[in-house]
Amino acid sequence: MAKTAQEKIDAKKEKAYYKKHKKMYRTTPGDVVFNILNYTFFGIFTLTCIFPFYYLLINTISDNELVKKGLINFYPKGLNIDNYIALRKVGDLGSSFIVTVSRTLIGTALMVLASAFVGYLVTKQEMWHRSLWYRFLVITMYFNAGLIPIYLNMALLGLTQNYLVYILPLVVQPYNIILVKTYIESIPAELEESAFIDGASYMVVFRKLIWPLSKPILATIAIFGAVAHWNSFQDSLLYMQGNSELFTLQHRLYIYLNMSSNIAALMSQGGTAAQQAMEQALNAKVIKYTISMVSVIPIFCVYPFMQRYFEKGIMLGAVKG
Amino acid sequence: MREEKIETRGALGGLYLIQRLLSVAIIIIAFFPVANPAKICGLVSNKMSLFTAAVSYSTLTGDLRRAFRMGWVDEYIFVIAFIAAIIAMLGIAVTAAGVCASMGNLRLQKLGLKFSMIGTIVEIIGYIACVVSYLLLKSNVTPDKLGEVSPQFPMGVIVYGILAIVLLLLSIGIFVKAPSVPLGMKYDMESKYKLFLMFLPFAVFAFLFCYLPLYGWRYAFFDYKSGGTLSADNFVGFKWFVYLFQNKATRRDLVNVMTNTLAISGLNVVTTWIPMIFAVFLCEMRNMKFRRFVQAFTTIPNFISWVLVYAIALAIFSTDGFINTFAKQVGLLGANDTGSNYLMGDSLTWVKMWAWGTWKGVGWSAIIYIAGISGIDQSLYEAATVDGAGRFQKMRHITLPGLIPTFFVLLLMAIAGILSNGLDQYLVFSNADNAKHINVLDLYVYTLGIGNGSIPLSTVVGMFKSIISIILLFAANGTSKLLRGESIV
Repeated sequence: MAKTAQEKIDAKKEKAYYKKHKKMYRTTPGDVVFNILNYTFFGIFTLTCIFPFYYLLINTISDNELVKKGLINFYPKGLNIDNYIALRKVGDLGSSFIVTVSRTLIGTALMVLASAFVGYLVTKQEMWHRSLWYRFLVITMYFNAGLIPIYLNMALLGLTQNYLVYILPLVVQPYNIILVKTYIESIPAELEESAFIDGASYMVVFRKLIWPLSKPILATIAIFGAVAHWNSFQDSLLYMQGNSELFTLQHRLYIYLNMSSNIAALMSQGGTAAQQAMEQALNAKVIKYTISMVSVIPIFCVYPFMQRYFEKGIMLGAVKG
Repeated sequence: MREEKIETRGALGGLYLIQRLLSVAIIIIAFFPVANPAKICGLVSNKMSLFTAAVSYSTLTGDLRRAFRMGWVDEYIFVIAFIAAIIAMLGIAVTAAGVCASMGNLRLQKLGLKFSMIGTIVEIIGYIACVVSYLLLKSNVTPDKLGEVSPQFPMGVIVYGILAIVLLLLSIGIFVKAPSVPLGMKYDMESKYKLFLMFLPFAVFAFLFCYLPLYGWRYAFFDYKSGGTLSADNFVGFKWFVYLFQNKATRRDLVNVMTNTLAISGLNVVTTWIPMIFAVFLCEMRNMKFRRFVQAFTTIPNFISWVLVYAIALAIFSTDGFINTFAKQVGLLGANDTGSNYLMGDSLTWVKMWAWGTWKGVGWSAIIYIAGISGIDQSLYEAATVDGAGRFQKMRHITLPGLIPTFFVLLLMAIAGILSNGLDQYLVFSNADNAKHINVLDLYVYTLGIGNGSIPLSTVVGMFKSIISIILLFAANGTSKLLRGESIV
């Protein structure tokens, strides 16, 4: 995590402050006890958040024989990436991967474009019945018709068993529109006015002025939108019944996790029955772990970039119309 | 400069208004599955609108696969019907463009009228093609299968056709009567309408995916089976509403489900303070590096899906997971013991679900409080220190009071969302053992509607949920206004 210059200055100031007032801030035995307890608690809790991922990782990159015996608990042994290579042979995983990656890219791009454009439009006081239309959008945050009516609606629109169901319903998202609107309102109005005086149209102002200026907020909604797309599970479960080619990665993972029999059966070749059975039992666990790792790695990759958008992102839940 | 437009007052203005409203009506009904002009036989689904017929050939002929295979009818007839639907929709699209243009100045308005004329003519051609496909079908279908295919005259054609003809006549009339365009006038539109037209496509999205589902509430009043149709025959009024409470089995389910929902949500509501305390104690740590480390990693679980949380749960708690293998290694379990699968049993299911939710969300929820703490005036702490306040006194008298407003809002939101536990978590963690205690409202609606196919009943349950939720939200908002003078929505 990179510290910004301001944070560094703050830390320095804080240190200097405590040095100056050392007497006042003398640590008492009570403080020591408190600190020990506090640090221990947070240490342990953080461990519970990291360890499961670490455990998955070491089990997928270790010697499968040792994994089967349950000997890989804290550090990897017999490093190899054979399991990741073996995933190629797990049928359907490839299509799920393509579906998820493509919906994440296309869905996020469209959502960001739409949010930016609509966010800009609703800042325009001169729009015909602006407040009415703005409310029309915002109200949708507070009610929904329910799972089944929404499902029936998708069927009515011909979107079940259809890739578009991953993209279209998520294009217009009132939360994000409100965020963008609030942000654009903070941009000095003079900039826009001078552009209009120069004869620019709304589209030009949006493209040349608003879009570049609101990049920070657009990055925020993009990153949260992308994570939501990547993690999507429910829409695949509901709308793709029977059309396994279009399952998302999370849905596929869910199916694999619930297979009491073995995924490895999909990829075993040759060998005696007993040998095969053993290999399958062994692989089932490791392959579940490996698929889990594959679907969590992208989150870890974007995570460092996400962190600076956290504070804006959490305001998602606290914004007002 | 005055905008030159067709006057909105007077007889011509009145007709123009009617013309525009009629166009809008034509556009809208094309999306409703009533009187579909492309429904040329009994096997074409009742639930299909003209629009659906025009965009999806496979939906149009979904129930006709068998008829094609068995050679009862020739497929080309339905290709014609499909093309007819496309032509009609194209006409409607042109009409729509005409309505949009009617918001502009005189020149644009006249262009719009031309569009309306062309559009309606194209539409009428489409409807005629529908009739042609019907006539072809009638003569083509194998005589002994007439009953099964049951060709029927598409009544929609009459309705849509009359509307289109009226619109065509109106458009021509207005076009002739309207003042001629002054020389040198350019196409133009007032910016308020321009902005509105740019906004319109997005409003359509919101309408399709947020408002239109409400139309699905009508299923609650019909005796509907998956794949069936809604008609006056199976209209049952409030039967399902009564059934839900009078039938012993559903009543028992409902009581069970509500108990689970309220218990788990209740646990969440009474522990809304945890992220706040988490943040307060986190900020007590002076070691910034460690603090950042903790913050970074406790937030991660929020960003992984519930399926992945379940994958982690399996890796740690299942029979061959970490806990069991580790216990074997250190000798707590015999090498040949199977170990226990901690995810299966039904002990403390509510608490377990709450714990998973808290583990996943606490780091993330704490961020808003951390932001709040950094916003508190540092001089308050200094003054308190000078006055001899200890760590806990400062927390109690400075930090917490500063965070209470945020806490209050989040508490109210938690109460408003008490019926919405979400589906994912409970679906992935449910199994044969814990089914009784994990079945929350969202999961119940899912299994009832999708699993068992009781569409009307699950719609009723969903309706109750939606209505109660919105009442709760308003109540929470009202409470907030009353106590803090600020609304939360």
